[in-house]
Amino acid sequence: MRLLIIEDYRPLRQSLTKGLQEAGFAIDTTGDGEEGLWYATSNDYDVIILDLMLPGMDGLTILKKLRAKGRKSHVLILTAKDTLQDRITGLDLGADDYLVKPFAFEELLARIRALLRRSFMQKNPRIKIDDLQIDLTTQRVWCNEEEINLTPREYALLEYLAMRQGQTISRTDIWEHIYEFKSTASSNVVDVYVGYLRKKIEQPGKPPLIHTVRGRGYTLGVQP
Amino acid sequence: MKPSLQIRLVVGVVSAVLLLLIVFSVGIYTVIRGALLRQFDASLVSIAQILAASVETGGEDIELEFEVQQMPEFQYRNRPTYYQLWRLDGTVAAKSPLLDSGELPCLSGSLSKPDFRTIKSGSGRVERVVGFTFIPRLSDDDRKPIEEQPLTLAVARDSTAILNQLRFLRWVLFFGSVAIAFLSVFVAALTVSNGLRPLTAIADEIASIRENDLAIRIGTEGVPGELLPIKDRLNDLLSRLEDAFKRERRFTADVAHELRTPLAGIRSTLEVTLTRIRDINEYQTSLSDCLTISKNMQRMVDNLLILARLDAQQLTFRRARIELAELVNSCWMSFSDRALEHEIIFENTIPVKMTCESDPENLSIVMSNLLDNAVEYTNKGGRIWLTACQTRDCVEIIVRNTGCKLTSEEASQVFDYFCRGDASRANTGDHFGLGLGLVRRIVRALGGSVSAELQDGGIFTVRLTFPNKNVGK
Repeated sequence: MRLLIIEDYRPLRQSLTKGLQEAGFAIDTTGDGEEGLWYATSNDYDVIILDLMLPGMDGLTILKKLRAKGRKSHVLILTAKDTLQDRITGLDLGADDYLVKPFAFEELLARIRALLRRSFMQKNPRIKIDDLQIDLTTQRVWCNEEEINLTPREYALLEYLAMRQGQTISRTDIWEHIYEFKSTASSNVVDVYVGYLRKKIEQPGKPPLIHTVRGRGYTLGVQP
Repeated sequence: MKPSLQIRLVVGVVSAVLLLLIVFSVGIYTVIRGALLRQFDASLVSIAQILAASVETGGEDIELEFEVQQMPEFQYRNRPTYYQLWRLDGTVAAKSPLLDSGELPCLSGSLSKPDFRTIKSGSGRVERVVGFTFIPRLSDDDRKPIEEQPLTLAVARDSTAILNQLRFLRWVLFFGSVAIAFLSVFVAALTVSNGLRPLTAIADEIASIRENDLAIRIGTEGVPGELLPIKDRLNDLLSRLEDAFKRERRFTADVAHELRTPLAGIRSTLEVTLTRIRDINEYQTSLSDCLTISKNMQRMVDNLLILARLDAQQLTFRRARIELAELVNSCWMSFSDRALEHEIIFENTIPVKMTCESDPENLSIVMSNLLDNAVEYTNKGGRIWLTACQTRDCVEIIVRNTGCKLTSEEASQVFDYFCRGDASRANTGDHFGLGLGLVRRIVRALGGSVSAELQDGGIFTVRLTFPNKNVGK
């Protein structure tokens, strides 16, 4: 999943980036309002973490412009402004969640996960596909009750495919949601990682879970 | 505490009523008593005159006309009138039969000016006696001239009735006064409490005002004219209080807001670091990040403390001769590393011998905050330079830095607390907008003034001006 952090306070921006990357997210960051709006409109982020008091352009203006352009990314406002009126204004302008600084990092993570489940209409934090089980909270994966060890990147790929199970997802789409702006990886890498993932989750003698749709991309699920 | 207005008014009114009652009662009593006694005396004198007129003398004989002796006054058994007649030599010529062995006093008035006396009779009754000496009529029978022989007459009458009447009058007046006095207490209490009701109403209104609801004003309705000035003053006071509270609340909210962001930074850095076992270098980086944030927070808390002391007027100022250039250089020491990092050039062209008399600690706080701000917002490779000039009236210190991204309007507002220009956190995002607000407060407390402006080429200029009366030669 790919996240954008628009936060001008450098120490907080750095620690958020580090923590969220370690939690398996692809992160883009900026400390400037206008740059933030540019990032947010040029990419389809799963969640945008937005500060309100920003140089260049304030957070509420960014939110308004983003919604005016029809962008559907989930926006979580992360600010020191804690009055009821601030919260109401933020949510009414189109934000999906509001968290006041200082906050517990675990709570921020939980809220991001909740927003992601909402984007993919996935109420259950445990996804089950045939023998495969994915726990979105602890980021652990089991096959036939046996735990499978995945690298963060592999997990991110599996999670994205599982959230949209049954749908055909293009390589670009996968690449955009798994990789950051700054990474040098290209969409070929997606094929390599799909290969790794297949080896780990598919068992010999069983029907494959990840299917290649020629010319279009991949789909996850048991095919009839 | 002084006795309440209500009690004072009631006591005053009741005392006045009592005094009036006493004067009035004494007056009435004196007038009525005088009138009654005069009337009694007059009737006594007229009886005596009739009696005197009925006395005939013919040499040795003295006769009283029978009709006179039979006058009803002399016949009453109950409250009789007595008479007694003396010759000049003191022998009794005649007396009331009712007197028996009793004697009336022999008084020495004249017919035109009778003498009066009050006596107590043998039976204990109080009697009024009138007495005078007169020349009795000569009997018609013998016309021979005889020597005129004056007689002395005394007529007495029981005055118990009149004394009883007066006693009754005294009681009526006394009890009447007491009753009126009691009544006046109630009436006065009622009137006063009614009259003071607007005061109590205002007091209740004031009592209902809470610290968090200072928008309430005391209404004009039902307030009497005398209380209007008080009401107006109170409302003025409320407005000022409301403003002060609003400022205070906004300031507190701003402070809380400004402390939350670095706190979030520390907490998030530590929490993320603790999510897993890490390399020692990572721990070191996190800790040093947190240390930097803590130092910034400490600076802000220090500034807040100075502000609080300024507000509470607990900050003491001493006066000393300060060498300006030296003070600036010593303040700069704490920022030189940061400046070097950003390749900022620093120039202090304040003349070495220029001095001024002020408070060194507080002037250092001012200078440090100005330099801190300058280092924060100067562009990489930019310049910070200080100049000073001294005129007959004042000494002016000017701090300039390049790379200002504010508009000229924003530049003039930087001394408001927590004012953030558009670019105020653009550089590093480490800075908190309290320092310049504090600078203005301290400079004012030191008797000077401070202003900021934007000059061509993005040069941010701060002018510090202090009166020159204390500036050394």
